[in-house]
Parts: sequence; structure tokens; C-alpha cells
Amino acid sequence: MEEQKISVWGSVRFWRNTAVWVTGFAVLLLIWLSLDTIPQISAGTIEDLENGVTKRVPSAAVINYEIGYELDNKRKTEIPIIGGKQMFFGRNDYSEEEATELVSHGKMTVQSKNCMNCHTLLGNGAYYAPDLTKSWLDPAWSETGPYRPMTGKATTEEAMAEFLQHPNKYPTHARMMPDLGITPDEAIAVVAFLKHMSSIDTNGFPRNFNKIKGAVNAK
Amino acid sequence: MIEAFTDVVPSFFGTLNRGPMTLTIFLHTVIILPMFFLYYSEKKKQKQGDHED
Amino acid sequence: MLSRVMNVQYESQKLAINYFQVALILFGAQLLFGLTTAIQYLYPQFLFGIIDFSVGRMVHLNAMIVWLLYAMIGSVYWLLPDETGIETVGIKIGRLLFYILTLAVTIVVVVYLVVQVGPGNAMSRWLIHEGREYIEAPRWADIGIVVVVLGFLGNVFATAFKGKRTGIVTVLMIDLLALAGLYLAGMFYTKNVSVDQFWWWWVIHLWVEATWEVYVAAVIGYGLIKTIGANRKIIEMWIWIEVAMLFGSGILGIGHHYFWIGTPEYWLEIGALFSALEPVPLLGMFVHVIYDWGKQAGKRTPMTNTPAFSWFVVTTFGNFLGAGVWGFMHTLPQINLYTHGTQWTAAHGHLAFYGAYVAALIGMMYIGLQGKYGLKEMRMTASAKWGITLLTGGVLGMTMALTIAGYVQTFIERGQWGATWQGYFVGQNSPWMIQAYGWRLAMGVVTILGFVFLMKDMMTIARTAQRENLKTESTATATA
Repeated sequence: MEEQKISVWGSVRFWRNTAVWVTGFAVLLLIWLSLDTIPQISAGTIEDLENGVTKRVPSAAVINYEIGYELDNKRKTEIPIIGGKQMFFGRNDYSEEEATELVSHGKMTVQSKNCMNCHTLLGNGAYYAPDLTKSWLDPAWSETGPYRPMTGKATTEEAMAEFLQHPNKYPTHARMMPDLGITPDEAIAVVAFLKHMSSIDTNGFPRNFNKIKGAVNAK
Repeated sequence: MIEAFTDVVPSFFGTLNRGPMTLTIFLHTVIILPMFFLYYSEKKKQKQGDHED
Repeated sequence: MLSRVMNVQYESQKLAINYFQVALILFGAQLLFGLTTAIQYLYPQFLFGIIDFSVGRMVHLNAMIVWLLYAMIGSVYWLLPDETGIETVGIKIGRLLFYILTLAVTIVVVVYLVVQVGPGNAMSRWLIHEGREYIEAPRWADIGIVVVVLGFLGNVFATAFKGKRTGIVTVLMIDLLALAGLYLAGMFYTKNVSVDQFWWWWVIHLWVEATWEVYVAAVIGYGLIKTIGANRKIIEMWIWIEVAMLFGSGILGIGHHYFWIGTPEYWLEIGALFSALEPVPLLGMFVHVIYDWGKQAGKRTPMTNTPAFSWFVVTTFGNFLGAGVWGFMHTLPQINLYTHGTQWTAAHGHLAFYGAYVAALIGMMYIGLQGKYGLKEMRMTASAKWGITLLTGGVLGMTMALTIAGYVQTFIERGQWGATWQGYFVGQNSPWMIQAYGWRLAMGVVTILGFVFLMKDMMTIARTAQRENLKTESTATATA
């Protein structure tokens, strides 16, 4: 029998073992990382909010509070700032359970109405309509923005809820939002979901949100 | 060079992330180092005339 | 004698042909709804209130994912008897599952198009759709898919244990098991949108950037042995190298989806560095196929199936360019902070899915066609050339147009306007953006033309080949 040459690089067995090792270990690392990440992105509690404990994903009761989005000197990115109490549909005393149910109802509605196949949520979805990650904080819906007077409502939440129920009445662009049969309850829940989403720490995405007014049009 | 811990929650990976590419270097190293072992054990097997497959 | 009778001796391969046929119909549906949504970008009133953009896009994406899965299952049923040397075990169940799956897919699509949206409760999620991009299928269908896939896996495993278990089959067994298992990560509701998207990416990313890629590497390995008689030992070694590199970079490469969804900062570095390595195995695939081609050309043995091999060449090019280069262009967080959620992703998605999966699976279909009619040799016809050229040209054109759209959107909306709603609309109204959408539509029509040629070719190429073989030697049709 002739002498076989020694060739590790040309050995199927060596590469099979390598593949098994690399794959198996990468899977283990991913599981380890996921076990580390999931607790970090689980929702905080109403006590965290009251005691000023920062959470990546705050409790749904954050709808009782004012939310900002400011540059953080330590992290060098913009982060959500949870401020003082703020009225949301005339209340600022939503309990943890109540708020969680409301935001969950909103999320279910967002899923049922297929929002993600036109809009993006946390930057994921379709690109046919604006990103909703920080829509709660968008100047277009603020006191000075065009959408509030359009709907004739006094607050951001009421203006958003009105728009969601009757998008046909308020054409904001040639690309109109279709009427999806959103009920008044669902509209309130969706706005709660959007407000909560704007309080999630997204490592600074979107960058410079609402800070630059467009160099072309700058005064 | 070692940056202050900035993330919201301290964690093992967050700590490794403080140095310049230390987290990535760590992860790549733990994946690649055992491949040396696989290489030499294969070489040894072939020297002993075990040509597999 | 020109016959339309199937020349296939294995039931498994007959079933494969059925899977390919449904896949092609769904491919057509994908292109049709791609067309309606592309038109809506330019003329928003088109089908407004009838098939809204959201509905069209959902069908566009789901038809694609489902037809790729059909073609993937079909390809496995095709190559399984060849590799193991025996008829697939439990093929009767396999056929039953095929009909169940097709019925379920039909119902799901009809509900998407007719019911479209439901109230914001759990019932909508169970019966209409889940409202989560790519995996919109309602929960009842999810469960059905799991059952069907378990049956399919059962067949594959039983066959592999009974027959000869080659390296290609071993890789496919492990890979398909992982692929099916990952689907479970997308099958539950959570109130927390960050947690939701975390698991959602386990399905999407670990499918298209890990398990599907490994699947394609294994199938191309089989295809190279079939079309150009590549050396099996080298192919198997190469597949294991690909597995190591694809899973080594792809599994933790999931980090590039965990930059901005609420997940911790350490993902920025993990996602950047691991996903930056993802193009390496794709380049490896490209080099390998071209190298084998050169060796085969040197030996002067005839290539037995030129259309299939051409599609494999397209897949290596397209995979490297679309998934590798276009993916890398926006995978680093320094860039992705501004490009995330823009047409950049659409540009990458179109070329990556086409290059990585569509081309490879069309190649497998041509191998199926060749086997179906028992042809020793199948050569490119005029329609096959038009099909491959127009489809590839069309997708490349759409990708270029969307890349320009992505640049414009990133600069205007994100750079100049700080990502506000007003910024979004200013960007969308930019003449450069509208031009890009126009070119995308035009190139989309080119893609559809290519599909028409492909379909025509798939229906006629076998007869053309039979006629030519008769003319030359007249032995080809006699051998079964």
C-alpha cells in the first residue's frame, strides 16, 4: 500500500471538526449573549420610573411622564430622558397593569393593521411611510407642527388618535394612509404604544432627531 | 484607552466592550484557539496512519 | 420520439417537480405584487384602498419566502435519491404534506388579499396575519408549517439513515433541523416591542444569513457534481469550510440587527466585526465555483447542463455582490446609524435574495428539468439566455436605482433633516428620489420580462433538447 501524504488542510475530517466546533461554540455564545440581553431589555417597573432608575425599556407606565430625547455627554449619543408627569388623554395616573394592557393593545393593533409593511418600527419594516420609532416626539405633531391644527385637537395624543381613525380626512402627502378601521379605543392604545416606544433607549437612533432643520432651508 | 463604562446595565460583555476592540478580539480568540488543537490532533492522527473518511 | 412523460424513476423526484411548479407560480405572484408596490411609489393612488401598499408588500415578501422554501424542499427531494441511492422513505406522507401545505398557502394568501386587516386583538394574529414583516403568516399557518416541516425532516432523516449518508446530506440534515427549529422563535406574542424584535431576528437573520446560506452551499456542491462532474471529496471539504465560515460569521453577525432596537451597546461591536466577515465565505463560494469551472474546461469533458451551471455562476456573483458587498456597505454601526430603515436595505435585499437564493434554486430547477426528461445533456436555448440576462439585469438595475434612492434618502432625510417626518417627506419628494423610483419600476418590468422568458424556457427547453439530441445522435431519448 502506498504511503499517503500528510495533509491536514486537505482533510475533510479536519474541516468537519472545525465546522462542528465553530458552529457549536458560536451557538453557545449567542445563547449566552441572549441570556445577558433579555433581562436588559425586559420592561422596567413603575417603581423604577418613580425612583428615576434608568431602563433600556421602561415600564409602560412611562405614558404618565414627559419624554425627551437629548444628547448624553457620557454616552455621546442621544438618549430618552424621562421628565416630570404629563397628562395622556387627560390622565397621568395609569397604573402599571392598566398602562401595560393599553400598550399591549396598541402593539396588537399595530400588528393587526400591518403598520410595519409601510412604516418602520425601531427602523425595521417598510420604507413607504415615516419611521415611527420617535414619532411621539416628532415636531410635526407638536404645538408648532402642521398636524395638530389640521386635526383641530389640542394635544399630540388627541391629534394622533384622530388622524389614525380618519386618515382619509387628513391627507398629509400624496401617499396617503389608508383607512384601516381603527376604533377610538385602538387609536388611544396605538398612541400609547408609540409614546412608550419613544422612551426606549435605542443607542442614539435616529441620530440628530429633530435637531437639524435642513441645511437647505436654514435661516 | 480603556473607556468608562457607559451602557445602562453593567455586564460581563459590557465590561469587555470598554477596551479597543477587546470584546471582538476575545470572542474571535476563543473561537479560533481550539482550531489549533484540532489541527495538531488531525496531524497526529495522520502520522499514525489514520487517514479517515 | 418526443415524449412529455416523466422519465423519473423515483417518486421523490416527481414530488420535487411538483414543489418546483408551485414555487414558480408563487415566484410570479411575488413579481406581480412587487410591480404594484413599485407603481404605488410613483402613483400612490394606484389600487389605493383595494390592494394598499402594505398588503401588496406583505404578499410580495411572503410569496418570495414561501416559494424559496418550496424550491428548497423540492431540491432536497430531488437530490435525496441521487445522494442516498434509495427512494425517499415516507414519500407518500411527503406528497400528502405537499397538498396540505399548498392548500394552507392558498388560504393564507386569499385571506391576506381579501380580509387584509382585522381588529387589534389576538384573533387577528391567529387567523389573518401576524403583522411582523417577513413572518406575517397567521399562527394557525405557523403551526401547520411546523407540522409539514417536521414531516419533511422525518423523511430526510429516515432516508439518510437507511441509505448512503454523504457529506452533502449530513450538512443538509443538520442545517434543515436548525432552520426548522429557528422558526419556533417567531411563534409567540410579546408585549415588549424590543423583545419582540430580538426573537424576530432569530428567525429572519439566522435563516437568511446562516442556515439558508449553508443550505445553498450544500446544494451548489451537489449542483457542481451534477453539471460539471466536480470531485466529490473536494466539494465536501469545501462545504465544511463554508459551514465553518458561514456559521462562524453569520451566527454572531445577528448583532448587526441589535444596534438600535433597545439592546445593549456591546452588540455594536459584535455586530460590526462578525457581520463584516460575512462576505468572506461568499467570496469563497465564488472562487470555488469559478475554479471548478476552469478545471472542468481544462479536462474538456462536456458540461451536462449549461443553464443550471449558468445560474450557479449567477448565484455566486449575486451572492457575493448582493449579500456580501451590499450588505457590508451598511453593516457598520457608524454607517448604519444613518442608513438603517432607508432604501439602502431595500437595495441590499433585492440583490441578496436574488443572488443568494433565487439564482441557486432556479439552477436546481433546471437540473430537475433535465432529470425529468432523462436528458443526458441540456444546452442553453435562446429563451434561457434571455431569461437569465433579463432577470439578472433587471434585478441589478433595481438594486442600482434603490442604492441611489438610499443615498438620497440618507443624505436628505437623515443627514440634513435629522430623521423627522418632514425630513422623510422632503427626501421622498426629491427629484432624485423620484427618478430612482422610476428606474426601479422600469427595471422591475425588465425583471418580469425575464421571468416570462424563464417560464417559456422551462416549458419548452426539454423538448428542444430532445429534438436536438435526436438530430445528432438519437440515443439520448432512449436512455432512461
